[in-house]
Amino acid sequence: MSESVGHLPHHGGPGPHEDRRPGLPRQRRGTSPQGFGRYPDFDILEQADHWDPVTRRVVLDRVERVPPIRLFDEREAATLGAFCDTVLAQDREPRIPVLAMVDAKLHARRLDGYRHADMPSDPQTWRQVARRLDEEAVRLRADDFAAASQGIRDTIVGRFAAGELEWEGLPVEKAWSVVMRMVLSAFYSHPWAWNEIGFGGPAYPRGFARLDAGEREHWERPAEFEVDPVADVKERGLE
Amino acid sequence: MSTGLATLLRGSRRPPANDSAFLLDRHRRAVPGRETMARYPERDEVDMVIVGCGAGGATLAQRLGRRGWRVVVLEAGPFWDPDEDWVSDEAGSHKLFWNEPRVIGGTDPVELGKNNSGRGVGGSMVHFAGFVPRFHPSDFEVRTRDGVAADWPISYSDLKRHYELVERELPAAGEHWPWGDPHGYPHAPHPVGGGALRAMEGARELGIEFKVGPVAIANGSFGNRPHCIYRGLCLQGCKVNAKGSPLVTHVPDALAHGVEVRDGAMATRIEIDEAGRCTGVTYRSDDVEHHQRAATVAVAGYSIETPRLLLHSTSGRFPRGLANGSDLVGRGVMVQGAPQVAGRFPEEMRMYKAPPPEICCEQFYETDPDRGFARGFSLQTVGPLPIAWAEHVLADGHWGQALREYMRDYNHWYTLGALSELLPLPGNRVTLADEVDANGMPVARMDYGQCDNDRANIACAKQRLHDILAAAGAQDVLTIDRYAHLVGGCAMSAAPESGVVDADHRCWEVPNLFIADGSVMPTQGSANPALTIMALASRLAERLGDKRVGADGRRRVEVG
Repeated sequence: MSESVGHLPHHGGPGPHEDRRPGLPRQRRGTSPQGFGRYPDFDILEQADHWDPVTRRVVLDRVERVPPIRLFDEREAATLGAFCDTVLAQDREPRIPVLAMVDAKLHARRLDGYRHADMPSDPQTWRQVARRLDEEAVRLRADDFAAASQGIRDTIVGRFAAGELEWEGLPVEKAWSVVMRMVLSAFYSHPWAWNEIGFGGPAYPRGFARLDAGEREHWERPAEFEVDPVADVKERGLE
Repeated sequence: MSTGLATLLRGSRRPPANDSAFLLDRHRRAVPGRETMARYPERDEVDMVIVGCGAGGATLAQRLGRRGWRVVVLEAGPFWDPDEDWVSDEAGSHKLFWNEPRVIGGTDPVELGKNNSGRGVGGSMVHFAGFVPRFHPSDFEVRTRDGVAADWPISYSDLKRHYELVERELPAAGEHWPWGDPHGYPHAPHPVGGGALRAMEGARELGIEFKVGPVAIANGSFGNRPHCIYRGLCLQGCKVNAKGSPLVTHVPDALAHGVEVRDGAMATRIEIDEAGRCTGVTYRSDDVEHHQRAATVAVAGYSIETPRLLLHSTSGRFPRGLANGSDLVGRGVMVQGAPQVAGRFPEEMRMYKAPPPEICCEQFYETDPDRGFARGFSLQTVGPLPIAWAEHVLADGHWGQALREYMRDYNHWYTLGALSELLPLPGNRVTLADEVDANGMPVARMDYGQCDNDRANIACAKQRLHDILAAAGAQDVLTIDRYAHLVGGCAMSAAPESGVVDADHRCWEVPNLFIADGSVMPTQGSANPALTIMALASRLAERLGDKRVGADGRRRVEVG
C-alpha cells in the first residue's frame, strides 16, 4: 500500500467514509492515520528535538524504519494486514504499518510474559488466526479474508470480537485478546496516532507543568472537534 | 509542638543508615560505583547469596552490607542505566517486565509480565506506579478478626519501625494518613492533576475521603535525585530518578558497603549438603553454568520465580522440591482485584500528565458487615497512557471505527482504580510446567481462581468507583476488570505444617535458607505491596545482623 497517493490532497478527496464522524477535521500539521483527527494543528513530531536522544530514536524509528515482514508468509500477511485494517478502521492511506510492527516483535520473540495453558504460542496463535479468518471468509463465499468485501470482513471480525466463532483447538476469546493486545500496542505507540488523539508524548526531560483540567502546555494544541463517543457510537450503530 | 517541628523539618531529614540518594550522580542517572564494586570469587563461601535484586533482595543486601556481611546478589536481568536503557515511551518499555515464558491457567487466569513482574536490578519497583501505603494493623490478624485466610506470625508493631525507616529512604510523600495506624510522611504531598481534584470533589459529596499520596517520589530534590517533572511515565521506569526503586534507593549504598550485584545471572538450583543445609546457588550467566558458595541463601525472586526455584531444587532429601515437604511451596499465591472505572468529562483531563499515583482512599479497607463479604478494598488513581487506555476501550467491547472514536476522545477521560483484597486459596498455586526455558529449566505455571468473597469484593469496589465518578460530574463511565500485584506462595506461619517459612523468614525445613520477598506474605490487604516487602526485608536484616556469621569460621546464622 506504500505506493498509494491517497494521502495527497488532490488524490484522496473526501471519499465515502460514512463511518467516520461527520465534521471530524482533516489533519493540517503532520500526519495522522487516515488524515483525520481532533487536533488538526498538533504534530507531536515537531517536539522531537525536546526529547532525550534514546527515546527520540525509538519513536522516530516507528515512522522512518518500517521493518519488512519476516515471520508471516505472503498469504498470512495479506490476511492479517486486512484484519489489522479492519479492527483499526484503517480504510485509507496514510496507514500506520501495524502488521509490520507486530511481525517484527514476534520475529524478535519480544513476547509478553505468559501463555494461556490451552493456547499455542503467540506467533502460532497469529498464524492460526490467519488461517481461520480465511476459512470464515470462504464460508461466506469470498475467496479469502483479504479478498472479501468490507461488509464480510466486518461480519467476521464482529463475531470474532464477540467470541461467537468456534475454532477447534483455539479458544476464540483468548485468541482475540492475544492478537488485539499486539495490534493496539503497535497502533497507539505510533506518533501519528498521538496526533489524532492529542497525546503529549514523551515529555522528557521537559516534563509537564499544566496539570489542571482544561489546561495545556504552550506546545500542545486545542481540540477542534469533540463528541462524547458513548452516545455517538450508539447513535450511529457502530457497535 | 512536635508536629510543628516535624512539619518544619519535612523533606530535610536524611535517612539514618542509607546514603543511596547522595551516592548517585547529579548529572547522570546510572548508579556510580559499579566499576569499584566488590567481586567475590565463586569458590569462596560468602556470608549470603541473595537471589533477586528487587524490593526484598536489594533492601536485605543493603542492610547486611552495612553490617559487614559479604553478600552476592544474583539478578537474572540487566543492571539498568536509566539514561541509556530506558525510554520515555509506553511500548518501548516492554523490556522492564519479566517476559520469559510462563504458563497461566485456572478458572480466572492472571496475565503475567507487564504490571506484575519485573526483571533487572530494581525489580518490578522499576515500573511500579509508586504507591507505598502501609498495611493496616488488621491485616496481620484477619483469621482472628474476620474468620478468613490466616493470621500472620508477626504483628503490625513488628514492622512499624521498618515502615518508618523505609519511608524515609524512598522517600514517601503524602498527606497525613488517617487510616490503619495513623501516621505522617517525610515529604509533603505532591500537587495533583485536574482529574484527581475532580474525583476528590465527587467523593466528598458522597462522604468518601481521598488523601494525596502516599507515593515513593521525593517532593523536591532528595540528595542527588532531582525533582519529579510530572511527565506521567512512572510505569515505564523513572528516567528522572525522582521515583524510588531499589536501583536508586538501596543499591548505591549496598555497593558502597561491599555488596556485589551480579546481573544477567539466572539462578537455576539451590544446592544442599547431606545435612540438609544449603551450600550455595547454581546459576547461568552468558550460557555458562556457575556456582556461588554461600553460608546462607536468601531467595527474593517474588511470588512466581521463588516457588519455581524451590520446586526445581529437588534432591534425594527433598524429592518434591526444597522446603516443600508439606506440599505448601507455591500455594496461596495472590493477586489483588484491580478493576478500573473511567469517567468522561466535558473538559479535557489529559490523564497522561502527573504521576499516575496521585490520591488514595482506604476508607473501605476493613470488613464492613453491611457489605456482605470479608475484608475490603482501597481506591486509587491510575492514569493510563494511550496503549493501556486502548486496552480499556477494547475490554468494553469496541473495535474498528468505534474504537478509534473512543480513542480520539482520550483527553476527556479520567480513570480510577480499586485494589480489592482477594483471599489466599490453596488451589491458587505456582507449579512447574512441562515446558522448559532456554536454560532447560521448567517454566512456572500459575493457576488462579476467585472465590465468592472475591467476586463480591470486586463488584462492590466497582460500584463505589462508579458512584464517585458520577458524583464528580462524569457524563459516561467505562469499567474493566483486571488484576494487579502478586504476593504469597511461600507463606510465613507460626507452625511448620501451615507455611513455608517461620516468622524470621527461615524455611521450616532448611535452617540456612531464607525467603525475603512478597511470597512470604500470608495475606495481602488492599495496599500496594512494595513498601511492606521492603519493610519485611529490613526487619529480617536487622534480626540476622544482630547474630551475624560467627568469627570461628563456622558460618552459622542463628536468629533469635
